Amino acid sequence: MPENFPQDLAWLILLLPLVAAIAITLFTRRFPRLSAQLSITAVVLAFLASFSLFLLMQEPLKIASHAEATALSWLSIGDLKVELGLRIDALSLLMLLIVTGVGGAIHIYSAGYMKDDPGYARYFACLSLFTFSMLGIVLANNLVMMFIFWELVGVSSYLLIGFWFAKPSAADAAKKAFLTNRLGDFGFILGIILVWATLGSVGFDELQMRLGKAPEAWAGVAALAGLLIFCGAMGKSAQFPLHVWLPDAMEGPTPVSALIHAATMVAAGVYMLCRMFFLFGTHSVWPASLGFLNGITALDLIAWIGGLTALMAALMAVQQNDIKRILAYSTLSQLGYMVMAVGLSGPDAAMYHLATHAFFKALLFLGAGSVIYACHHEQDIWRMGGLKKKMPVTYWTFLIGTLALCGVPPFSGFYSKDEILAVASRHSVLLFILATAVAVLTTFYMFRLFFVAFLGKERSENAAHAHESPKVMTWPLVVLAVPTIFAGFWGIQAFVGHALHPQEAVHSGNFLETLFAPFSHAPLAALMGLGAVLFGFSAASSLYANTEKDPLPNMLGGLSRAMRDRFYFDEIYSGLITITHEAASKLANWLDRWVIAGLGVRGVHGSTEILGRALRLVQSGNLQTYAFLFVAGLVLVLLYALN
Amino acid sequence: MLTSIILIPFLAALAILFIPRNFRFVIRVVALAATLITALIAVKLFLGFDAATAGAGGYKFIHKIPWVESLGINYFVGVDGINIGLILMGALVAFAATCVSWEIQTNEKLYYVLLMVMTGGILGAFASLDLFFFYAFHEFALVPTFIMIGLWGRGENKNYATFNITLYLSLGALIALFGLIALYLQVPAPQRTFDIVALTEYFKANPMAVNAQHFIFPLLLFGFGILVSLWPFHTWAPLGYGAAPTATAMLHAGVLKKFGLYGLIRIALPLMPSGAQHWLSVLAILCLGNILHCGWVAMRQRDLNQLIGNSSVAHMGFAFLGIASLNLIGITGTVLVMVAHGFLAALTFGLSGYLRTQTHTLDMDKMGGLLKKLPFIGVALIMAMMAGCGLPGFANFAGELSVLFGAWKGAFGHAQWFVVAAAWGGLVIGGIYMLRAIRDVLHGEGAEKFPDAKDATLWRKAPFVVLLVALLIFGVAPRLLSDKIKPAAENIVKLSTAGAGGKSFEPLKVTERKVARATQSGAAK
Amino acid sequence: MSLTPVGLEHYLVVSAALFCLGVLGVILRRNLIVMYMSLELMLNAANLALVAFSRFNNDLNGQVMVFFIITVAAAEVAVGLALIVALYRKRQTAHVENLTTMKL
Repeated sequence: MPENFPQDLAWLILLLPLVAAIAITLFTRRFPRLSAQLSITAVVLAFLASFSLFLLMQEPLKIASHAEATALSWLSIGDLKVELGLRIDALSLLMLLIVTGVGGAIHIYSAGYMKDDPGYARYFACLSLFTFSMLGIVLANNLVMMFIFWELVGVSSYLLIGFWFAKPSAADAAKKAFLTNRLGDFGFILGIILVWATLGSVGFDELQMRLGKAPEAWAGVAALAGLLIFCGAMGKSAQFPLHVWLPDAMEGPTPVSALIHAATMVAAGVYMLCRMFFLFGTHSVWPASLGFLNGITALDLIAWIGGLTALMAALMAVQQNDIKRILAYSTLSQLGYMVMAVGLSGPDAAMYHLATHAFFKALLFLGAGSVIYACHHEQDIWRMGGLKKKMPVTYWTFLIGTLALCGVPPFSGFYSKDEILAVASRHSVLLFILATAVAVLTTFYMFRLFFVAFLGKERSENAAHAHESPKVMTWPLVVLAVPTIFAGFWGIQAFVGHALHPQEAVHSGNFLETLFAPFSHAPLAALMGLGAVLFGFSAASSLYANTEKDPLPNMLGGLSRAMRDRFYFDEIYSGLITITHEAASKLANWLDRWVIAGLGVRGVHGSTEILGRALRLVQSGNLQTYAFLFVAGLVLVLLYALN
Repeated sequence: MLTSIILIPFLAALAILFIPRNFRFVIRVVALAATLITALIAVKLFLGFDAATAGAGGYKFIHKIPWVESLGINYFVGVDGINIGLILMGALVAFAATCVSWEIQTNEKLYYVLLMVMTGGILGAFASLDLFFFYAFHEFALVPTFIMIGLWGRGENKNYATFNITLYLSLGALIALFGLIALYLQVPAPQRTFDIVALTEYFKANPMAVNAQHFIFPLLLFGFGILVSLWPFHTWAPLGYGAAPTATAMLHAGVLKKFGLYGLIRIALPLMPSGAQHWLSVLAILCLGNILHCGWVAMRQRDLNQLIGNSSVAHMGFAFLGIASLNLIGITGTVLVMVAHGFLAALTFGLSGYLRTQTHTLDMDKMGGLLKKLPFIGVALIMAMMAGCGLPGFANFAGELSVLFGAWKGAFGHAQWFVVAAAWGGLVIGGIYMLRAIRDVLHGEGAEKFPDAKDATLWRKAPFVVLLVALLIFGVAPRLLSDKIKPAAENIVKLSTAGAGGKSFEPLKVTERKVARATQSGAAK
Repeated sequence: MSLTPVGLEHYLVVSAALFCLGVLGVILRRNLIVMYMSLELMLNAANLALVAFSRFNNDLNGQVMVFFIITVAAAEVAVGLALIVALYRKRQTAHVENLTTMKL
């Protein structure tokens, strides 16, 4: 095997979806089935290649922490050197498997779900473009390249969320998503510039080397740079306060929601934080204008923002009635967990949860899609019910996904959530309590969803006539259920931990040890986690096991309404935007029309005209006036000459 | 070779004069052929340009014919890294503009003559290395604008816009002329020449008196600045482009506007370093006005052409910012932005012109849902809008990225935070109104209001495809352009930071200086 | 009683006086014909000055110039009076205040 084979394989993985996207856009728009086949083939091949790469790299990664693929110089002007190169290490291998694996399942699922849509070919082109962009983020070996693909992911998601662009709400949702992401990118690029200006490079390898030499200039800007870079993650992973786009993004087709908002795009923010984890240190010095933050590190801020997002989103999920929205808020909440884990210096726990979350959340979304499809595009859970007998595969896989999400052993979610709780318990009591509370709420709203949508009596005509979805849609569910159940035993955390904390020893025992590991390593966290699940489940079953309508609004009154209305964030934001931007633009427009164009340009025009009219008075047409002026001038000249 | 680029359009204009006015098809074919050949030659020159084999002063493809010896006027054309990209852009945009002119149905003969003269003027201005011809070619390009907007323009403001744009730009050109003549007079009489190369050599050896620099530089800055719609002298742009016929708007916004920036980079910066450093803080503030103020004004526009016009003024702010930073990254970024924006402005104005022919209105409140009916034009417009707010993959991103990074290293002291944040904030604002435009024009409902709207057929697609491909090629591989620009830009930076201790980089601490030196030696390898 | 001989300055004073009267006539009189006559007065004042200089400097060139001036004046009178008559026929007035179509 030639020496560069892994690197070439990595390039192949990256470029396959791009080739599919270009081919579909240019050539096969009129052949929907061919387009779908192209796209699916590309991503499945990419998955197989990723898996081979994973196997190939097991040995080399034990020696060197990473491998780099040949880089092309993209832009090279003076100190600004941006290259397009690929970095293969444990982190990127894990993400490759997730993106191509889950992505592949979703591609196949979409072939069935979107069958009757007139924009079928366009859908797959956008999906392939998205996959390409996401793989670019995963494989990037420098900050600017990551930013480039970051933006490309943003535009692909814009195209996918706004897929049904004729629908005003979808068009608005797409616009909102892109702009909110852009706002996050505002901070991101300022952070990149700060890092480049202080450390002189944008490549991850270079940066790690230079940080190792501990330049003193870095200490002054480290915290600020960290926070700014986190802004990008805030936008992409929908952390507070940039979370408002994620629920609206459910306007896209359900497979898109599964891909983008469960498994991949939102995970990009967490992935980026883990990638950049080496930049975040214990620096807590801020520049003068932000002096009130002295003593708090960027990681502290990240942890709290993550925790707050988790709590807030869980509260909002408790009172939503649209199945996709519940799952969307659940995603927000779990992302909050991951971000909090990074902030608590547990990036390996965050990546672990990212991986398991990708599996079970995608499963849940696809299951929801199956339910929606079966109930003729009904999305309100209070119009479903009694689906257990009618849709057994969907029912059981959804149950598995729910149990994993709530953190019930021995499903994968239990282990990954426990790691996060363990990290929290080690670092911050407050956040540990908050995380546990969120676990309670998670179990509560997920089982609320489950009881209302799947159990009980049918609540509408559509539910009564539901039947199981076609095989092309149920097979991916089964495929995804496998890692949902077993991913806890695959040693994901050890795999990633080795890359992130090369100094720490890696402990991975046999099956039984792994099964009970949480109880032996961090018993408090595990017990509290289990307790939270039991508490939430009992609350949910007592309220929702057999109800016709939701009892919570009566119990909680105004709070319930606030939760359902998402704590009025959207309204506050549009108010703020009206006050600042609209005001600024009105002012600028006024300035432009009345001062610059009015006073300035027309003023010049007007004064020239007035001057002209004044001078015109000299032209009286009277011959004698002219003669007088001649003589006067002559006299003046004579006086001057004779003096 | 270079002369042929300039000569072919003028010859075509002459040829069209002899064609009887009823032979409309023949006239169009002659014009199309002329611009196509010019574009192909420009591409060939671009690909054949290699900075390493440059001749006198770093220029290639030189052609020099002495004209008026006593005053030092020669016909002197040549290319270096800075204007080769601009010439390529000008030729391609001219071709696209000629293709788009199918909508002109009256008095075509006069129209195409003017279009050809304008093309020749623009290309001559960019290629010219003699101050006299530089200015003269610019006037060749400016005067047809007046006639074209006056005769074929649209909107109720048409006459006002025509006179506004012409008088305003003539004022700018006049101020610049004062500056140029003052510059000419700074050289002692026996060596007086309009030759830019000779002037550069002369002033490198004998720098101009500092007072003279501080006086002449602002003349050139504001004179050329008005030509490029520097804030606050920018109101002519949206007004004029709103009223102009499509091809004129494409050529003017895309190409002619860059003339002023090119003049600043070629003439003002290297010949008057002290003046440049003295005035750059003013320039930085004004360009922020461009970016932010015009961005906010664009947000209020409901007419698509006005929105695009204001956004193009905002983009010019980026170009000015790169100049104001006075370092290699900044100036290379400026040239990248100039070329990229040329393609982009031409593309957007071309698309909005096409939309107007189909919907007979450019009021965004009345349009809507057009993506369904016009898929190609719609997708092209989405790509253009995305490129306009700095999406990677299009050439604009590479330029704007370089400008931002260069601006950080510019001599702004602690204001660099504000400058860079404001500039990037301008792109966020750009995202807001561009996406709003897409939402209002292409998405949503409303397709039934325009039952006759037809998508572009193969020939009508051609200009947009050419421009999009150019944007994509330079977006995916910006080194194709930036490598050519770098040596010339280095020259300019060296000349313009001379004599003041090279204030353009921040003072680095000891450890960082070592890091920087390591990078430099790494780069030199 | 002895009379001072008539010197050059006396002629020049007379010439100047005539010239000023002519100028005043052009500026202050409103009738075209009278303005024209004043114009002639100015010309003749110049003639007087020239003759005086010629006599006192013993240079005949001055008197030759006077002949030229008289001829030109005569031609000018002919053309000018024709114009005035034509103008009068058109406008029925020879008052210069009514003839103001030359204003912008």
